[in-house]
Amino acid sequence: MALLTLEDITKTYKQGELLVHALQGIHLNVEEGEFVALVGPSGSGKTTLLNIIGGLDTPSAGTAQLQGTDIAKLKEVERSDFRLFELGFVFQAYNLVPVLSALENVELVMVLQGLSAAESRQRAEHYLQLVGLEKEQQRRPSALSGGQQQRVAVARALAAGPRLVLADEPTANLDSENAGALLDLMHQLSHEEKTTFIFSTHDERVMARAERIITLQDGKIISDVRTNKHD
Amino acid sequence: MHTRSQTHTSRQLPMLFFIAWRNIWRNPIRSVLTISALASGLIMVVFYSAMMEGMLRQMVYQATAISTGHIQIHRQAYIDDQDMYATFPWPWLDAIERDVPGINVAPRLYASGLASTTESSTGVMLKAVDPKREPTVTKMLTQVRSGTLNLGLASDSAEGLPRFYVVVGAQLAKNMHLIPGSELILVTQAADGSVGNGLFVVSAILKPLSPNFDRMGVLMSILAYQQLMVLDGGFHELAIHVEDAEHMQAAEALLVHNIDKRNQAQPLDDLGGKAVLRNWRTLSPMISDMLEMSKTINFIVGFIVICLASMGMLNTMLMAVHERSHEFGILIAIGMKRRWLLLMVMLESLLLALVSALVGVIIGISGISAFGERGIDLSGTMPDGYDWGGLVFEPYMQLYIDPINILSACVLMVVITLLAAVIPAWRTVRLDPAEVMR
Repeated sequence: MALLTLEDITKTYKQGELLVHALQGIHLNVEEGEFVALVGPSGSGKTTLLNIIGGLDTPSAGTAQLQGTDIAKLKEVERSDFRLFELGFVFQAYNLVPVLSALENVELVMVLQGLSAAESRQRAEHYLQLVGLEKEQQRRPSALSGGQQQRVAVARALAAGPRLVLADEPTANLDSENAGALLDLMHQLSHEEKTTFIFSTHDERVMARAERIITLQDGKIISDVRTNKHD
Repeated sequence: MHTRSQTHTSRQLPMLFFIAWRNIWRNPIRSVLTISALASGLIMVVFYSAMMEGMLRQMVYQATAISTGHIQIHRQAYIDDQDMYATFPWPWLDAIERDVPGINVAPRLYASGLASTTESSTGVMLKAVDPKREPTVTKMLTQVRSGTLNLGLASDSAEGLPRFYVVVGAQLAKNMHLIPGSELILVTQAADGSVGNGLFVVSAILKPLSPNFDRMGVLMSILAYQQLMVLDGGFHELAIHVEDAEHMQAAEALLVHNIDKRNQAQPLDDLGGKAVLRNWRTLSPMISDMLEMSKTINFIVGFIVICLASMGMLNTMLMAVHERSHEFGILIAIGMKRRWLLLMVMLESLLLALVSALVGVIIGISGISAFGERGIDLSGTMPDGYDWGGLVFEPYMQLYIDPINILSACVLMVVITLLAAVIPAWRTVRLDPAEVMR
């Protein structure tokens, strides 16, 4: 059974008088442990698709299931728990709570999960070490570079032990060196932690690191290519 | 994977508190301005309530300590018609004081008459007190404006007649051009039907005790009164001071019981009617009503002032929520429940309100304490004090800090600010994370 199954997902919304078809009949299966890139030009539906998978948006039609759970059918509170326990998120920028240090930001999700303070602290320190920020753990986001902030976001996403990490343009605000380093880190952790990653990008150098590249255009999947880049 | 059963709020509360506290100080200037606005509102409320409480306490003091006492006992006919013969027998005086613990008693007698000098004459109200007992019940005899208080026997007149000293009210003294040492002739209808008259010497002029006494009052000793009025069978009024005013009700009950017992042992005559006991609240209904009303007025003033101050709070929180909508979107995305987000915003408001309350109370109490025990001194503009609502006040405005009033104001402020925070908090709950992060 696939980890993620999308069946005939469509998303239509109104923009003024216009009907926008953001997604049209998306069918997709993602297996556990895959490192998937969603690529396509701006407006192709990448973010909308990630939002539907993440339970932040609902499809107009079709079903999105994570290991048999129909995400759109979850109630609001169940959807919060679903995101808290099953998913990790990395956004384009401003991922972190500005008033918390790097360590506290990583701890936050585990505290929300109800883990004890000691366990949260231990796991947070471990994941910050994995992303190479053990020396910066007391710094607040404003004292970290863009690349460091994204690495903290990756540590936060993984520390909570999710099945699937969704990353929406995680490298969009980074230079190519930092972008490459972040993707390498995500790829490495995906294998080490056996966690599935789906990330969107329109950066060709970044997408080249993916094991599977799904190309979207006008809300439709126009190609789905496996690159055989398993380590 | 962790178990989902652990997502009850108790585990998350310390973290939410922590984030809320840090959030307050992410824009220190704005927070300080908000705290200043709320604290200023609270200072105003604390100051106003201290002024009201001080004034009420002055009123109660004026009503009880200066002339009325805590409790008075009269006979019904005296209350109804100022019946001169409606007196209590003298043995009651010592007996009541002996039988009821924790009280002091002072007898009083009253009459009306005509006062004359060589220049003018006017109607007066005669009041007789026991110079030894009266100071144990009221401070009436200390309220001297000029002269030296003396209610004893003065030297004989040029004609060899014995003369008693009297004390007169300030306005009466002014109207009749009396000064300490002036002679005064008092004429009245005595109890035996004869015309009572006598020559008296003014020993002192009293500060205004009450508007009536100030205009018409002549104070004398009971001995002088008895000679003038030919009335020595009893007294009209028994003024009582309860040593522990907190237990006045218990004292009243004991007094009622004692009077009943005494009435059975030595029945009063029917003409004067029964003995009637009244406390200062009954004797000064206006003050009693004002005490009750002041609580409502305090609440209304506090409510209005704090409502206005909390508008600043509402503005701050609306701005804060608007600025942080992306951040809230992130928090929702990573699994923060909307009720936790609401709680976090409410906690921010609560912490702001608590800090404001602390600042307001500290500054308010320090400010009030700076005025000292007497409060605001008005002696420069009103040396004789002021007359308000039928009572004469000392020339200062006492400020009294009542912890319950302060606590109530703080609670009121916290409740109002939390109510004001509901709107921004609700906006947070309604956020569409996909929308705000776009």
